[in-house]
Amino acid sequence: MNSLLLLNGSPRGERSNSIKMLSRVAEGWQQAGGAAPEILHLARPSQIERAVQAFATADTVLLGMPLYTDAMPALVKAYIEALAPRVAASQSGESNPTLAFLVQSGFPEALHSRFVERYLEKLARRFGSQYAGTIVRGGGEALQSMPDEANKKLWTRLRNLGSQLAHNGRFGEAELKAVAGIERFSTPAIVLLSIVGKLPIAQFMWNGTLKKNGAWTQRFAAPYGPAFR
Amino acid sequence: MRITILNGEPNPTAAFDAYQKLLAERLKALRHVVETLELRTLQLKGCSGCFNCWLRTPGECCKSDDSATICRAVINSDLVLFASPIVMGFTSALLKRAADQMVPLVHPYLAVQGGEVHHRARYARYPKLGLLLGAGHDTDAEDIEITTAIWSRTARNLKSTLSFVAVADRDAQEVADELALAA
Repeated sequence: MNSLLLLNGSPRGERSNSIKMLSRVAEGWQQAGGAAPEILHLARPSQIERAVQAFATADTVLLGMPLYTDAMPALVKAYIEALAPRVAASQSGESNPTLAFLVQSGFPEALHSRFVERYLEKLARRFGSQYAGTIVRGGGEALQSMPDEANKKLWTRLRNLGSQLAHNGRFGEAELKAVAGIERFSTPAIVLLSIVGKLPIAQFMWNGTLKKNGAWTQRFAAPYGPAFR
Repeated sequence: MRITILNGEPNPTAAFDAYQKLLAERLKALRHVVETLELRTLQLKGCSGCFNCWLRTPGECCKSDDSATICRAVINSDLVLFASPIVMGFTSALLKRAADQMVPLVHPYLAVQGGEVHHRARYARYPKLGLLLGAGHDTDAEDIEITTAIWSRTARNLKSTLSFVAVADRDAQEVADELALAA
């Protein structure tokens, strides 16, 4: 059976949206006959060394992360830097695992994550690895506040992707496209959003927490310079 | 013009570090006010995604570290130069750690900007951004292109534009002249 190393690159660790999504992919992987994955959280310093070691021996690595300032979080980049010896190893004939990725963001459109996706695809080539694809999904922050029931469709798609990874060594194009949702808003949609001036669902979610935290009146605070009006 | 260099070189003896010092001297000679923040000497605990800087103490990171120094310097600059070696095809984890902790500079609310959804501005003005890259032995043109594309996106989310990109294998005076024009 093929081994799977599941790496959670979210700074939130066990409480992250990334691990929720990664777990569904792993379920699909196991349903398709893949071995139970080893799961490591890169936010836990004690697990980094193991994550570097395990990369060298895994058949497949699935690395998931939230989009942080349009790229991977710093701790994921630090992990990638720690893997530099694996590039040299591949150049001297050793093999590296098949690489699969998941990038989730709070933006409603998938396009924000496409730039780091290019980086990840190139990274797989750098390791001489087979590239299994990158799952891109927007609207991630809403997962925190939604009941699991509401996400059923998403969970099914993620399981399907996990099964495809186990069967074919790569994600299917059609399922990747479906899970990504809206790639970019159409012009009429963006005009409508601009007129409404707000994205009601997202704003509503923030407002509730701001009020609960007693930070509502300070929400436009600009401690280091003149505030935007 | 006020120029802040965020030096994301982890190694103090690297040639890229010396290059930045030379560049800063040239920029000062062109009468710019230049401040370099050596990220490796600052205490940066990293962003843990708690969102306190959006929802509990708006605009401020809850961690007691040097990230506030960076945020203050960024907002009060005309141009911020992100300087980093390319390591494994992208700018350093050190620079990324600083960038992650700039999240308090924008607002959690989403707004339409250039046909896309982005975060609303928190500040009335943001600096222009520049990128200075140190090519590694394994860096190719594609790495530079991908890195530039990602930082252009970061600039857009920081209500700014990436108005300058250079690889530090060129004459420092020439790069300083170009950077001065961009600022």
